[in-house]
Amino acid sequence: MDVINYLSIIVLIFSPMVAAALLFSSFFKHNEVRIRRFSKGFASLHFLYTILFLVFFNPLKDGISYYKEITFFGSDWIQPLGLKMAFGLDGLSLLMVILTSFVFLLALIASKSNIRAKHKFYYSMIFLLQTAVLGVFCARDMFLFFMFWELELVPMYFLIGQWGDKKAKASAMKFVLYTFLGSLFMLLGILLLHFYSFATYGNLTGDFSQIAISTPEFPMFMQIVISILLLVGFAVKMPIVPLHTWLPDAHVDAPTPVSMILAAILLKMGAFGIIRFNMQLLPEAFKLIAPVLIIFALVNIIYTALVAYAQSDLKKIVAYSSISNMGIVLLGLCTLNLIGFSGAVFQMIAHGIISAGLFMLVGIIYIRTKTREIIELGGLGAVMPRLMGFGLILSLAAIGLPLLIGFVGEFLVFLGAFNSNLENFAPIKIYSVIAIFILVLSAAYMLRLLHKTFWANIFERWQGIKDITNHEFVVLFSLILVVGFFGVFPMAIIEIVQPVLTNILQFLQI
Amino acid sequence: MDFLHNITNIMLPEMTIVAFILLQIILSMFLDMKFYKLAKWLTVLGIFLATSLCTKVQIEPIYYGFKNAIISDNYTIFFKGLILISSFLIVFLTKKTISSRRNSAFQFNALILTVILGALTLVSANDFLTMFISMETLGFAMFFLIAFDKGFKSKEAAFKYLIISAVASSIFLFGVSYLYGITGHLNFSLIYEYFLEKNPTLLYSMAAIFITCGLTFKLGVIPFANWILDIYEDASTSVVTLLSIVPKVAMFGILARLLVFPLSYSFELTFVLVLIAVVTAIWANVLAIRQKNIKRLLACSSSANAAYVLFTVSLVSVFNLSTVLFYLVAYIFMNIGVFAAVIILESSEFSNKLYEFKNFAYTNPVFTLCFATCILGLAGFPITAGFISKIYLFSAIARSGLVFLPFLVVLMITIVVSVYYYLRVVKFMFEKSDTVESEVIAYKTSSAIVILYCCAAITVVLGIFPSKIIELCQFMAYNI
Repeated sequence: MDVINYLSIIVLIFSPMVAAALLFSSFFKHNEVRIRRFSKGFASLHFLYTILFLVFFNPLKDGISYYKEITFFGSDWIQPLGLKMAFGLDGLSLLMVILTSFVFLLALIASKSNIRAKHKFYYSMIFLLQTAVLGVFCARDMFLFFMFWELELVPMYFLIGQWGDKKAKASAMKFVLYTFLGSLFMLLGILLLHFYSFATYGNLTGDFSQIAISTPEFPMFMQIVISILLLVGFAVKMPIVPLHTWLPDAHVDAPTPVSMILAAILLKMGAFGIIRFNMQLLPEAFKLIAPVLIIFALVNIIYTALVAYAQSDLKKIVAYSSISNMGIVLLGLCTLNLIGFSGAVFQMIAHGIISAGLFMLVGIIYIRTKTREIIELGGLGAVMPRLMGFGLILSLAAIGLPLLIGFVGEFLVFLGAFNSNLENFAPIKIYSVIAIFILVLSAAYMLRLLHKTFWANIFERWQGIKDITNHEFVVLFSLILVVGFFGVFPMAIIEIVQPVLTNILQFLQI
Repeated sequence: MDFLHNITNIMLPEMTIVAFILLQIILSMFLDMKFYKLAKWLTVLGIFLATSLCTKVQIEPIYYGFKNAIISDNYTIFFKGLILISSFLIVFLTKKTISSRRNSAFQFNALILTVILGALTLVSANDFLTMFISMETLGFAMFFLIAFDKGFKSKEAAFKYLIISAVASSIFLFGVSYLYGITGHLNFSLIYEYFLEKNPTLLYSMAAIFITCGLTFKLGVIPFANWILDIYEDASTSVVTLLSIVPKVAMFGILARLLVFPLSYSFELTFVLVLIAVVTAIWANVLAIRQKNIKRLLACSSSANAAYVLFTVSLVSVFNLSTVLFYLVAYIFMNIGVFAAVIILESSEFSNKLYEFKNFAYTNPVFTLCFATCILGLAGFPITAGFISKIYLFSAIARSGLVFLPFLVVLMITIVVSVYYYLRVVKFMFEKSDTVESEVIAYKTSSAIVILYCCAAITVVLGIFPSKIIELCQFMAYNI
């Protein structure tokens, strides 16, 4: 049991930042190979380190594991406001941390063929992004959460803008402004939470668990206002439909590894924030908002699925399918029962893996053909059989074929929605029935993607292109492993988050 | 004897500055042009001496000198320290300005010291007369500084400044005359005590609004804000740095005191100021979107920042005041950093157009990193002082009452706009272009480089570890 003493969450979060500083400094010369090897090596070590956290994690233990505070010369982060630089892991954050570390590793491997210039800057930005994301998942203080939430914008701005396609700079700006606007609403919510908890209990604090104690005392009106303000911030990130327009642009123009990270992890931050803030801190208000949110969730699922079907750009199809999938997550969160919650969390992980794979797939095709237009492709299966195999499995997982990772999440969410005991809210059952039928659409756009790119007659100009390289094989293969494994053993994920979710349910039943 | 006693107790920093002003003027008559470097070092020495003499000033218990015309307490000494430190940094940025007119180096430095003198007495003023005189001292010295650069553009800018300054001053005096008519006093404490017994009338509110509107000129907020763009563009950059920091800090110092003591009875004034602040934030941030010149952009940015601070100052409370102090500290360093970068660019023959910033990230990575840190700090991104100060400022507004929440939402939306134009600056620096020659910035101004690095470092350190400074600010705010 001595190993547990060496597991420092501070190292977990800030070591990527140190690596970023190292890469940015003049210690590394502009040597592409060395920089890339260092990054990949570092990311693999980081992944192993997070696995150690999982090994020594006790899911049955109540509360926070690996809790740690940083103090500066004996005083807290912002002591006059009672804010601490405190980090800790619960089941949910642990899952997200492992997903983050895993996807970043894969994205770094995938970077080889996609990033052709400014390597030093690129890899340091990736690592800075990793620290920001890990900080969001591990923060135990509202303001710390917000700080990392904002910090993530800076590397993202550069990653999309600098290595992206033609319109990348505009897209990056759009992404940053959208998120910034959302997060300022979130900040307002956080400030009100901070102030009202001070007004009720008289101690200034930003700690999640302490805020959670004081929130039931707030006036109901205030709880709802705060809840809505916070939701705006998370809705932009997640994204929920009227606020989603940044996502297709950002995805289409970002380079492949960044798209992978964006879809696999950054979107999950929105859902994570809803669980952290709206469900854990303001359960009463969430109970009232959930019936309204369900409508948004269904619009999310149905509308974006239809839009995805109408797209001709491969990346846009995957991007819109991401939004559709996040709608499923939101639906699961709004069911207010354990099955739905587990489904939502599972879907977060599942979509993280699948979307990373799909973006990789599209990226591989784009590098070889220099086009993403679905009409110009076709018959690639003849020249790229290995890619077609991977693509087949990934698309089937995205559709939700049993025994693959995508099935479990969707199934649990709809089961949860059907069994939901939302008081006086019968329409949810009708809605979920509609949504299940609409899910056929996901099969439609995915199979269309698969069919138009890999089957049919091959164009003359694609005859010469080569199948996937070893790097790409490693990325896709490890994703497929995860897809298969958790499709067969879904409980491995659900057991870790179960305590967190039952805890939320206990709050909700008050 | 009382006079001398007062001077030795609280006026030593000011008197040091006065002595150095006289010294500069005398030396300018005797010394040859080739000694122009001496002027700068004399200024530095004077500011340094004044700063160190700040510790000798009596602040506990609160000291009222010169028949209550001057006050000295923790709060004033904090602002004096702030003014002296920021001007200490700014003096090192003046090299480029002086290099074109070396024969007037001593006058230039004397004028800078006069601005500092005006700012120092302004924050310690305890009646309207002292305040007015200090304001004009500051304003006139600033006028000559703006006109200092060669060419007619700076003269034009100076003239604009003078005229608008005169209008603003007269409005200020108009308000003061009404207040004097109502109360019969000019002293802050006496006016405050006068209204403890009598109810304030509407006329009092009118007077208060006039007084604060007169002060908005130096803050660069609406209604007297339109000068700011032209003057920032046309005046020499080091002067603009001074203009954007020293008068503003001093003015916020005295404004907070006014709002806590003599003008604290006017309920209407709060709403007028909040409205002014919100309108300014919208105006400045929207105006900045289309600016192609970095100096014009910074003018808008400084106006917007003043608006955020004004919003918080107007909601008078001790906590709010502490947030304002911290915001000013953070803002000073970020702003000096940005201006130092602009000065470095100017001295390497770059114009102030944003599109000339292309390729910087690849030719001068460290410079770009520091410049971007300061710019992102102004925009309010994390791990910079700007992030913490904005959160702290907004937390003050959020707890001032639900009435102000809609205003706060508007303010936040304007901040999103500001993120756009700040990021545009960064975007240009990271853009690769073949049409623009990728010149390596000639490191002619080593002092400006050092200042830039220091400011960027302080911005980051304050962003990670703000605790101690915030505690200091709270202590000072409790002791107003």
